[in-house]
Amino acid sequence: MSYLSRENSALVLVGHGSTINPDSSLPTFVHANEIRARRIFSEVHCAFWKEEPSLREVLRMVEAQDVYIVPNFISEGYFTAKVIPRELELNGPITIKNHRTLKYCDPVGNDPRMTDLLLHRAAEVACDAPPHDTSLVIVAHGTGLNENSAVAAKRQVAAIRDRGIYPEVVAAFMEEPPEISDWANLTTQSHVVVVPFFISDGLHSYQDIPVLLGIQNENSAPASQQEVFRHNPYALRNRKLYYAGAIGTDPMMADIILDTVDRFDKQHD
Amino acid sequence: MIEQLLQERLRSGPIHLGELVVREVEPGRFLIRHWKDDESQRKLAVGIDATAALEIVRYDEQGNYRALKGAPSLSTGWELRLESVSEVRQAIDYFYPGAFSTWLAFNRGEITPVDLRQTLTRQTGMYRVTQRLTGLQAEELAGRFCQSHSGCLRTILWTIDGKAPEKYLPRSKFDPQADQVAERHQKHSEDGREEDPPARLSSPKSYHVPFLCVEACNLFVAEARKIVKVHSK
Repeated sequence: MSYLSRENSALVLVGHGSTINPDSSLPTFVHANEIRARRIFSEVHCAFWKEEPSLREVLRMVEAQDVYIVPNFISEGYFTAKVIPRELELNGPITIKNHRTLKYCDPVGNDPRMTDLLLHRAAEVACDAPPHDTSLVIVAHGTGLNENSAVAAKRQVAAIRDRGIYPEVVAAFMEEPPEISDWANLTTQSHVVVVPFFISDGLHSYQDIPVLLGIQNENSAPASQQEVFRHNPYALRNRKLYYAGAIGTDPMMADIILDTVDRFDKQHD
Repeated sequence: MIEQLLQERLRSGPIHLGELVVREVEPGRFLIRHWKDDESQRKLAVGIDATAALEIVRYDEQGNYRALKGAPSLSTGWELRLESVSEVRQAIDYFYPGAFSTWLAFNRGEITPVDLRQTLTRQTGMYRVTQRLTGLQAEELAGRFCQSHSGCLRTILWTIDGKAPEKYLPRSKFDPQADQVAERHQKHSEDGREEDPPARLSSPKSYHVPFLCVEACNLFVAEARKIVKVHSK
């Protein structure tokens, strides 16, 4: 697919980042590199909440006067509604500041192709699991800080149910009910496929959730320091359990980021 | 403009930035190394594009994740051979994000440091409690977390309640002209620890770019949270 050139504009891709896990920011850097190589924008930068460059310093790195800011986040929630606008001093979708126009786009997780990515991950990780005997669990963060955080995952669950591939599709969360640690009670089929609705194979999706599922000990190393990504399937609680990688690492994400920018322009013409 | 100014600067001689030495070896060909490898005869792993820097900055020589880019723990044993100034700029931004552009903005008088109170006051969620950090706790934290010896090589421009946090840090920590790597080496010498002297100290033609810290970072704020939590118990 070809995209409109924005040679006088910069793209700032915002990720969460981590002070503990080295893999958290990697997808954001990888997608930024891919987009930079396509030469659509005059500049492409990354910025992070928990890593450097921080949201507070990234705009000093930007020279263009027209700047698209795309949250590489899976859902609208606490970070996209509160933290990113606060740190970048945004006052809406379009902020004019110091002769610059800052265009704050939707999070990438709002893209309609997220459903396809989740289904693709599920099919890929559990290619030997018969779909009619399989429960699909979409696991997301969830937080008491913003009710929208869980909404995106629930929306995906509804969209996947509508396709009628799996007899059971449920949402589960790390920090709000229904909790992912209760996966065996939330599902009824002999095969259970769990797909993390996360951007990276970082702290939560690669290290925390496997512990909550019971497939990993507390002290697992980050994904980039493991020789084998996963040993699927896991025989657990009389089921065959499969745990997929995060969808934000899919190469299609670069196109999704560019589509997010296109949608912003269509909505704010 | 940033790339043009970087190119002009490199034409005049090598740049020392943090633990890096960046030089134009011939027109349009650039070399980036750890300063300890600058005159080294040992075999170095060669990277040929800026993205190689992404891997180099992730781990120190012991394989520990480097969450803080300013930490004086950049591994040695590599060199980047780059063929455009835009690649050089990209690599610098992977090693020390925004260091060169912030330095240019500082020289134009466009940098307004942010007092720590402002940084803490705007925190929400789990970091809101940092608003209870006292001035003394903040000074102690800066002295421990930001010091150039084993903490961070950035030059601090921000203040705590209007004053530079000088209680536990040397004056040079706030001086953009001071080379924090050299300061670190001096500290090592005072400690009686063995370390190779930085070649940069005897290289009058090189140009030093400081890694400026305009505002306390999120890692500092996260440390502040731990202090407040411990004291509230």
